[in-house]
Amino acid sequence: MVKDTKDYKEDFLNQGFDATETAYDQRGYHLEVVLNVNQVRKFAQTAYELGFYLVFVTGFHVRPDEGHDTGNSGLEVVYQFARYDQPYRIKACVSVPNSLEVPSISDIYQGANWHERETRDFYGVVFGGHPNLNPLLLAEEDADFHPLLKEETNLKSLHEVSWPSEAPEVAKEGAEDETGR
Amino acid sequence: MLEPEIKEHNRFFLNMGPQHPSTHGVLLIVLEMEGEYVLDPQPVLGFIHRMHEKMGESRPCSSFMPNTARMDYVCALPYNHGYVSLIERKAGIEVPKRAEYIRVITSELNRVASHLLWLGAYLLDLGAFTPILYTFDDREHILDILESITGSRLTYCYYRFGGVCQDIDDKFIEATRAFVKRMRKRYAIYEKLVTKNIIFIKRTENIGIVSPDMALRYGMTGPNLRGSGIAYDVRKNEPYSVYPEFEFEIPVGEQGDCLDRYMVRIREIEQSLRIIEQALDRLPDGPVRSKVPKNIKLTPGDCNFAVEAARGELSYYLLGDGTSTPYRLKVRVPSYSNLSCLPELGRGILLPDLVSILGSFDLVIPEIDR
Repeated sequence: MVKDTKDYKEDFLNQGFDATETAYDQRGYHLEVVLNVNQVRKFAQTAYELGFYLVFVTGFHVRPDEGHDTGNSGLEVVYQFARYDQPYRIKACVSVPNSLEVPSISDIYQGANWHERETRDFYGVVFGGHPNLNPLLLAEEDADFHPLLKEETNLKSLHEVSWPSEAPEVAKEGAEDETGR
Repeated sequence: MLEPEIKEHNRFFLNMGPQHPSTHGVLLIVLEMEGEYVLDPQPVLGFIHRMHEKMGESRPCSSFMPNTARMDYVCALPYNHGYVSLIERKAGIEVPKRAEYIRVITSELNRVASHLLWLGAYLLDLGAFTPILYTFDDREHILDILESITGSRLTYCYYRFGGVCQDIDDKFIEATRAFVKRMRKRYAIYEKLVTKNIIFIKRTENIGIVSPDMALRYGMTGPNLRGSGIAYDVRKNEPYSVYPEFEFEIPVGEQGDCLDRYMVRIREIEQSLRIIEQALDRLPDGPVRSKVPKNIKLTPGDCNFAVEAARGELSYYLLGDGTSTPYRLKVRVPSYSNLSCLPELGRGILLPDLVSILGSFDLVIPEIDR
């Protein structure tokens, strides 16, 4: 049923990316790649040459790290790539610097155009080199309103929303029947 | 008609939508035209944007279930399926086999209903009025069947974490078998009415050709991608639920024009019926819902789940933070990526061909706008 699968971890490691295999059963993707801002375009180019398609681009908002001189903005951009010919999904994420600028990949993957515009709508991340960053899903007058930015009280730090580095445990507590609802 | 705005010598802008019948919902496409030729079609989205993703992260994960059906209201059950499977994967919930079979049967029925609605609406776009009367007649049977167990006709909220909310009965099985039998008899009518109709062929053959490379650059999925000859279907490629237990094929087209996309969907109806038949034959006994905690805690970390909706790959991406409310919930919808190729695909074509391409993409606007 499942076709022959090739592991693409080596291909990305050889290009100098920080790639880690993940447990597909728990996370739903095979490879996790942590990028820095300068690697984004090279990564997209590598993925395109290897024949991956872009699933989505999005972001999320966490509490920024304290004590860093460079400082990150607390925003993370997430890219997901997958293949047409075999089950292989990649999650790549990049921390957005204080300038809020991340290079656009919309000239490599034209499909990223709308996804990046949407991410700018929701989080205010500026994709450098994007041909048109006008609001896509939000109204034009809401260009400075970013609905998915969380309030200070609701923010969690990045490690609170990441998998623990040791083996993840499965939540099983207070098994209570829900059928009454 | 709208007064076109003159830009240069016989070049003008024309608004197609947001109330145009062939945009199938509130979608605006700003067309830069020269005579009857489209130079630059630019879709304008967001007319029915409801921010489902914000709603997803502001309530417990079980309360988001009704939202899933309100994105793609034409084929809502795969949206249910993706969401419950995501939470089940994240929280490690087991699902009884019978429940998975029921999910597959109802999802496939919903897929057939969606393809039938598309078929009628597409032909209406192309000027053929009669077929929609036949397809809606068939679709009505499916809606009746699904209504009998889910309680709703369109925006289903039938699946639950760990199963489905109600078992199917003999009446449902009987009605479904009768529908499969009836549907197979209808193919001949559709072939006579549509597939061999010379006007239909002239309006679709060699129109809107999507090359495999173009499909990859835009992340196209579903029948729109398979029309271009790439046999990618999440049900086969990344098998979920009990799909690996059934035999079915992935129909593909050859050159990726509107006719290929039409043929792929027509042949997919038969494949869905095959899955339904096999699932009914082998339907296991047992409970339809496992015990799950009332408050499902989403452990820290992210999780992704992809399913094949009627229009392509639907991905839910979730970020847990230890509470029962998702920290972030991203919904990747297929029509969004499919439509994004329109500015490139629609350059330099005739306006009636653009209508044909839009129809062949099977767009559902509430899904794109979310």
